[in-house]
Amino acid sequence: MWEFFKHHRFEITTLTVEHIWLVAASMGIAVLVGVPAGILLTRRPKLREPVIGGANIIETIPSLALFGFLLPAPWLGARADRIAITALALYALLPIVRNTYVGIAGVDPGVREAARGMGLTGRQLLWQVELPLSMSVILAGIRTATVLSIGIATIAAAIGAGGLGEFIFRGLAMVNDSLILAGAIPAAILALAADLGLGWLEARLRPPAA
Amino acid sequence: MDGPAIAFRGVSYRAQGRVLLGPLDLEVRRGEMLVLLGRSGSGKTTALKLINRLLEESDGTVLVEGRPTREWDVIMLRRHIGYVIQETGLFPHYTVERNVGLVPRLLGKPESEISERVNKMLRLVDLDPQEFRRRYPHQLSGGQRQRVGVARALAGDPEILLMDEPFGALDPLSRTDLQRQFLEIQKRVRKTTVLVTHDVGEALLLANRIALLEGGKLLGIYSRAEFLKSSDPTVAAYRAAWNGNLQLLGRDDRHVGIF
Repeated sequence: MWEFFKHHRFEITTLTVEHIWLVAASMGIAVLVGVPAGILLTRRPKLREPVIGGANIIETIPSLALFGFLLPAPWLGARADRIAITALALYALLPIVRNTYVGIAGVDPGVREAARGMGLTGRQLLWQVELPLSMSVILAGIRTATVLSIGIATIAAAIGAGGLGEFIFRGLAMVNDSLILAGAIPAAILALAADLGLGWLEARLRPPAA
Repeated sequence: MDGPAIAFRGVSYRAQGRVLLGPLDLEVRRGEMLVLLGRSGSGKTTALKLINRLLEESDGTVLVEGRPTREWDVIMLRRHIGYVIQETGLFPHYTVERNVGLVPRLLGKPESEISERVNKMLRLVDLDPQEFRRRYPHQLSGGQRQRVGVARALAGDPEILLMDEPFGALDPLSRTDLQRQFLEIQKRVRKTTVLVTHDVGEALLLANRIALLEGGKLLGIYSRAEFLKSSDPTVAAYRAAWNGNLQLLGRDDRHVGIF
């Protein structure tokens, strides 16, 4: 087993980097879309049900099917990694949008009222009060989404997008446990590392109780 | 400037088809402490929030410094008015220094001036700047938090101060302390102040005039002496409630201590 890892260390490293790239790119997109969407929901409560509902539906689509659905899409379908990144970003939306909304909606109404009463503009309220006070909740959503994505990204290998799933699918085809573990162990380590790292950040950004 | 600092002219406020306040006609004189006294649901907090436009009147006009609040830039209006609420609304992620310096900073004052102002305000509310500047709200007692709330409201040197049950969440001893201290502060800074409370004792201690509200209507405006003498049944009921406890204890000196 150890010999196998040593022998394949170059390939393991390459696929791990690919895996991280898929997850990082999709998370970047999901945060850029999801956090503003969550903020918008706190300003337009009527949008809440359709948006959260829509994100919920995406979550119910099996990942392999979602990769398949995106194959015929123009531009996206041209490259496997584009498809994978888009699909992963879609999966990551729900926890991020939901936590952003819940985090901001959960800011102490007294604090918000005092802020408005003292003449903070809407933008100042958001940046100086609402976002700092909800940052740990938003990060918890990003953490959930990241750990989820690291797992789902292994399936991206099925459409040729690379990543650690390559080993897993190859190992399944060849009935080779070492190959499967060569994909599964680094993926598990990545997930644990992301969980611990983001969890640490989350705890650091948690505001003191009033 | 002449004329009242704040004026309500035929103001009413409705929400979901229900009249919560008004029609209300009321003037707040420059430099006075007007207490809006009433029970829960009397419309006193609603009236207060109409002044800094946290709520907007359905009918009539609210004037601040002679200008309808609707004509004010709402952000400028609010920065012109200090606001203190029961749970203080201190920003939990800001130190005392940043909380108190908030409005001066929003007004774009230079840092050196802000720092000086923060120290001055903390001393005004009897908190040692050296000791308290760097603390966070959760490292303060309830009374200290409320003091910081008052310091923050005064830091922008507003002409007007609005206070919504500012001492309501405190234990009786801290409350009395803070009420007396606030009276001293008010003597020094002389801000036009509107204070909302349901506590008759607090109203009698702090007010130049008491505006009594019930069911969204103004029942009357009384000086302290008038309030103590009035034969109006509602005023009498408030007085009785306030005195009642003392009488239960078998005392008959009805006008206690403070007068």
